[in-house]
Amino acid sequence: MKNYLKLVNFELNRITKLFAVLLGITFVTQIVGVIVVSRDYLNMANEKLYEEMMSKAVFLESFGQMSFLQIVKSVWFVGPIALCIAGVAFYIFIIWYRDWVGKNTFIYRLLMLPTTRLNIFYAKITNILIMTFGLVAFQLIILPIEMLVMKGMVPNEFRTDMSVKEIVNSMPELTIIIPNSVIELILYYGAGLLVVSILFTAILMERSFRWKGIFAGLIYSALAVVVLISPLLLQEFVLNGFFYPIELLVLEIVMGLIVLAASIWMSGFLLMKKITV
Amino acid sequence: MIEVKAVEKKFGRKKILKGVSFTANKGEITCLIGINGVGKTTILNAIMALTPINKGQILIDGKQIDKNTFEKITFIPDAITMLPHMTIAEAMEFMNDFYTCWNQKRATELLGFFRLNPSDRIASLSKGNTAKVNLLLGLALDVDYVLMDEPFSGIDMFSREEIANVFTSHLIENRGVIITTHEIGDIEHLIDKVVLLDDGMVTKEFSAEEVRENEGKSVIDVMREVYQR
Repeated sequence: MKNYLKLVNFELNRITKLFAVLLGITFVTQIVGVIVVSRDYLNMANEKLYEEMMSKAVFLESFGQMSFLQIVKSVWFVGPIALCIAGVAFYIFIIWYRDWVGKNTFIYRLLMLPTTRLNIFYAKITNILIMTFGLVAFQLIILPIEMLVMKGMVPNEFRTDMSVKEIVNSMPELTIIIPNSVIELILYYGAGLLVVSILFTAILMERSFRWKGIFAGLIYSALAVVVLISPLLLQEFVLNGFFYPIELLVLEIVMGLIVLAASIWMSGFLLMKKITV
Repeated sequence: MIEVKAVEKKFGRKKILKGVSFTANKGEITCLIGINGVGKTTILNAIMALTPINKGQILIDGKQIDKNTFEKITFIPDAITMLPHMTIAEAMEFMNDFYTCWNQKRATELLGFFRLNPSDRIASLSKGNTAKVNLLLGLALDVDYVLMDEPFSGIDMFSREEIANVFTSHLIENRGVIITTHEIGDIEHLIDKVVLLDDGMVTKEFSAEEVRENEGKSVIDVMREVYQR
């Protein structure tokens, strides 16, 4: 356990810079987005009210009040989130390959540590989770700041104020990142953890068997997906809606746990018996 | 004792090791010699479970390698095993964090021995100093066995001399050492046992001292006989 925590800490230190860059880009881009979108709205309002002499009431009736949702739906807001998701997805591969590739032989040191090699797997997967939660938490922290910036720019009568919850609920894509309930959080992030563990196993297959490992990894991933969705397939094509939704949910969780356990076992086996530096 | 028993290893269809067997005892320096590609590094990797073997068995003090074995055996590869952005001090701290057998006193002694600056970044070191840091990180562990892969490879004469001095010092005393090297001249007089490899097999295994005393030959003489046949 102590060594696992030390490894987590070590891995975290390795991503500090990348993480800080992602946070910085997110903050700056979204704040700029708030300013740009708010200014666009204000420019339009000024144009209509002072140049076209439209009354405020007519303007609000025609164009509506500005809400934070306009910012959330702009590329200024979604762009950095997509970049962060891409960054984490990219890092799932980099977190392993950087220890092998080029002149880097750090994998020698990692594999020769006097601790179970599975701790390397756990530490790297924990890192991905911490990075993901860190980005989500940061987004939640900067949302009120961004709303304050908008409030500071757009006068009260020209805007509709929304709570963070209302903003998240109004955009289905956001509810995946910021779930509404604990169950949703466990389901969404559990699925994410599962995907990462399957990918890690596939990467370790490639690192163990090289070219053959790529095919083995692809087959393993496909198999894992089939096992995972097997209750849904059965429900749809064989049992014709036999299960209640709650039963189906429990079955999916069980299948998820089976796939997770299989990925951990397989990764442990590869790290102990098959890995090649 | 490290026992390598009938080890076979294939890379793709090519068989690199074809039933290699030898032993290395504690308190002895065993030298694996062979031309490039003969499988010397593969043997060391296999001993450390860094590459799987297809057949055979490797035992360290009668046991197969597990996580606890890494507190009694260390491997010094021919490339640095630490991250380039780390300083020497940070690399030492990393080792201290993970290994209970890390000997800080010996690490400090080695720093002085090799005249290394702990605040230097690994990426900025010359090849000779990188090899010295690698040695430092391996030798500062209180382990019974040390595996070294080409410690003299590609480094200047003066660094080679400094590294060779390690073999006559207390830093190696009472440890079992397996070393692979081309630069046999630097440590020829210190070697206890020689394992000559050719075509993935052990062609000759002999005591260097016996050859010296009984046949009046050096290790290099025997190498010539075997490889220039």
